[in-house]
Amino acid sequence: MPTLEAPAKPISLTKFMAGDFKSDLKPIWCPGCGDFGVVTAITRALANIARPPHEIAFVSGIGCSSRIPGYTTAYGFNTVHGRSLPIAQGIKLANPELLVLVASGDGDGFSIGGGHVAHAVRRNIDITYIVMDNQIYGLTKGQLSPTSTRGRKTVTSSFGSLEDPVNPLLYVMGYGASYVAQGTPADMVGLAKIIEEGIRFPGFAFINVQSPCVTYGQEDQQLKAHKTNMQSLESIGHDPSDRAKATELARAYGTKLYTGVLYRNPNPPSTYGQGVTERQEALQKSAVPRHEMLNRFKPTN
Amino acid sequence: MSEDLIIGIAGSGGDGVISAGESLITAAALEGYHCVMTKSFGSQIRGGEASCRLRLATRPVLNPNGPLDVAVALNWEDFRRFGSELPVEAATIVIYESNTGVAPGQLPLPGVKPAVVFSVPITAMAAEHAGTDKAKNIVIAGLLAGWFGIGRESMLAGIRKKFAKKGATVVEGNVRAFQAGLDFTVANPLKEDRKLSAPKSGGQTKLLTDGNDMCAAAAIFAGCTFFGGYPITPSTEIMQFLDREIWKYGGTVLQAEDEIAGIGAVVGASFAGKKAMTATSGPGMSLKTEMLGLASLAELPLVCVNVQRGGPSTGMPTKAEQSDLFQAAFSAHGDCLRPVLAPTSVADIFGVTVEAFNLAEYYQTPVIVLSDQEIAQRKETVDPIDTSKFQIIERRRPTGQELTNYSRFKLTESGISPISHPGMVGGNYLAAGIEHNEQGRPTASGEMHARMNEKRFSKFNPLKNRRDLFTIEGDPDAPIGMVSWGSVAGVAQEALRLAQAEGLQVKLLVPRLLYPVAETVYQDFFASVQRGLFIEQSYQAQLYRIVRMHVDLPAQVKSFAKSGSNPILPSEVLDRLREMVVSIQGNQQPQPEAVEN
Repeated sequence: MPTLEAPAKPISLTKFMAGDFKSDLKPIWCPGCGDFGVVTAITRALANIARPPHEIAFVSGIGCSSRIPGYTTAYGFNTVHGRSLPIAQGIKLANPELLVLVASGDGDGFSIGGGHVAHAVRRNIDITYIVMDNQIYGLTKGQLSPTSTRGRKTVTSSFGSLEDPVNPLLYVMGYGASYVAQGTPADMVGLAKIIEEGIRFPGFAFINVQSPCVTYGQEDQQLKAHKTNMQSLESIGHDPSDRAKATELARAYGTKLYTGVLYRNPNPPSTYGQGVTERQEALQKSAVPRHEMLNRFKPTN
Repeated sequence: MSEDLIIGIAGSGGDGVISAGESLITAAALEGYHCVMTKSFGSQIRGGEASCRLRLATRPVLNPNGPLDVAVALNWEDFRRFGSELPVEAATIVIYESNTGVAPGQLPLPGVKPAVVFSVPITAMAAEHAGTDKAKNIVIAGLLAGWFGIGRESMLAGIRKKFAKKGATVVEGNVRAFQAGLDFTVANPLKEDRKLSAPKSGGQTKLLTDGNDMCAAAAIFAGCTFFGGYPITPSTEIMQFLDREIWKYGGTVLQAEDEIAGIGAVVGASFAGKKAMTATSGPGMSLKTEMLGLASLAELPLVCVNVQRGGPSTGMPTKAEQSDLFQAAFSAHGDCLRPVLAPTSVADIFGVTVEAFNLAEYYQTPVIVLSDQEIAQRKETVDPIDTSKFQIIERRRPTGQELTNYSRFKLTESGISPISHPGMVGGNYLAAGIEHNEQGRPTASGEMHARMNEKRFSKFNPLKNRRDLFTIEGDPDAPIGMVSWGSVAGVAQEALRLAQAEGLQVKLLVPRLLYPVAETVYQDFFASVQRGLFIEQSYQAQLYRIVRMHVDLPAQVKSFAKSGSNPILPSEVLDRLREMVVSIQGNQQPQPEAVEN
């Protein structure tokens, strides 16, 4: 349990409901936005995890998706564009007892913050990274995003995009992610399940959520289309411990909407945090009192 | 006899120049001398030229000073590359390697004819006595120990210890090489005895370290348990020290993927309730700016050390400059205020770093420590520090009562609100880079933004009355006043002593708090002043200009500023002080030379 430095209130709740994690702040999202479903799925997952809200740190960057922490009762940190991952890692390393969630979008996560993703993956700090991927910049009203398809016309690609999109699934697989899943609010049960599993997974967990933008998104990217097109990985008999197969299926990003756990390392590697704790415990004995720190500077010949 | 000796040694990387300097300064420190040693290298990663400057004195020394009393050249090409860093005068005793083939009367030093010159077969002596020319540095140590009376016994003990692992033959070879150096000085004595007199402090052993290690040790003393950063010259030793130590105190060092992530993790650790720090140099500061703004708005404590080097851009990574003050004070968009502190020496950076943590935690703000390459990487003797005199301040946590209906950004009289952290029951709130109300909820209200700005600025008002963050030396009513900061303050302090010895009435103000500008401190200091001089190492004279923004200084307060890597010497400052005296006496305008830009 975390150290409580102020008098603790007795916790009467032993069981949690999704509603315990929803704040009374009214979302700024457009009616019908996919992110409403994502916040619901997250709160459902948290109810099952049953950690009280004060033990959760929920971090985000900038974008429609990054408003999510404020709509929960957890300790939230709505940071700056693209920087949620470094801040979340600092929180988890400073207090390993906390449950740390990160919400991001395709622009926040794979464009301006893209450089941080690789390092968060390979560092394997036990946090859960949920990206709401809608292939567009919604908050700034409809510009090209790193996951927009080639040829896509937007207000900043009036004659069509000239570049290929990022494949978020393949990207994190490439850096050795141990837990990779994809979902859509079109399948709330499935989405809550992969988020819960991601939180329980011991290490860095990546969840790509196809979360439609009702205002700037394309027809074939809406929930209605998801309902028709999505295919659960379970239903096609995918074995999530098969890394090669998972990588192959990840290549279908953009053409096929697979949902569920794409890859789960059957032998999760030790986390960065475990290494930190072991090192701290091993070295603790050799600490000189802080007020004697300067004695080390006595010259010796 | 000598009271103050400045020795410069230069050679190629691998000549053991730095190692010779290290043995000398360690021996001198053990005997209780006051010492400063600076190192300088070419930009090559290995090899290339290397030099060190040692100043050994019987009284406290505050800067490396200028012209050498003793110059040691292992080869002249390397020696000359250091130019004004190793200035030789007619009075300099020159010792050089015979195999350079240069005749003592024909040293390749244009315009200088040193009177005392020794050509010494250093390499040959090393080979003869130790069986390897690697022992050149040991021969040099022997020569300097012999001629200048520095730590013979202590250096011998050091040689025995250093080579113990390599066996008795190597130990004895090096002892013989040292003895050969000593014997050479007996056979070739100086006409005038230049041996160092006994130290004034009665031989009390001092601490010996550099500014980066001292800064890191101070961070641990202050309770820092998280460091996030990225390697950059000349600050990296701070991260290296903490990486060896911080785990022992339950802390963590994160070498991040970039400068932004380094300070990002620090912001996160602080949000999680820990005392956290990052360190960098100019180019890294440019990248960290957005996080400084975030920490200001979210009112999160953190310490950011900027070990200044020459800029802009990559600039001069291995040279000191004081040109990041504008950046420290003004970077980040929006209305934003953060304290900026500067240490003046290796000893001073201890207290300044502890103060930085205290201010960060108390005011819930990022605090910038502006160190510089000189302080960071010079070795200096430090009188023992009584750590019990330093108070450690923790951030203001909410009480149980305050947690029942918690407002993270409550508008209080002091502007300081109780700060919770994840794990604390009832303290849940949304931290954000977006403007917020008292409860931390996002707002676009102009009225609320104005009130929050007022809170974030007015909370610092008491800081401007912290007169203990300034020192004033000299005659309080003097008509001549100097202001200097950072490593250059040591130059001004020495100039003050020289001026006082000549009977000039001068005083010196040294701020550790650079920003916000403590208006009344400057107003009071300049009340008696007819002529004033800001002395600093930057083209723009940044402190001079920042103080001028806030304080109506007398018209005759000018600036003496030089770009980085061009030493400012006490004698140059003294010349300007003399000119000011003449100017006051004749009631003339000050000499135009007193203003460089």
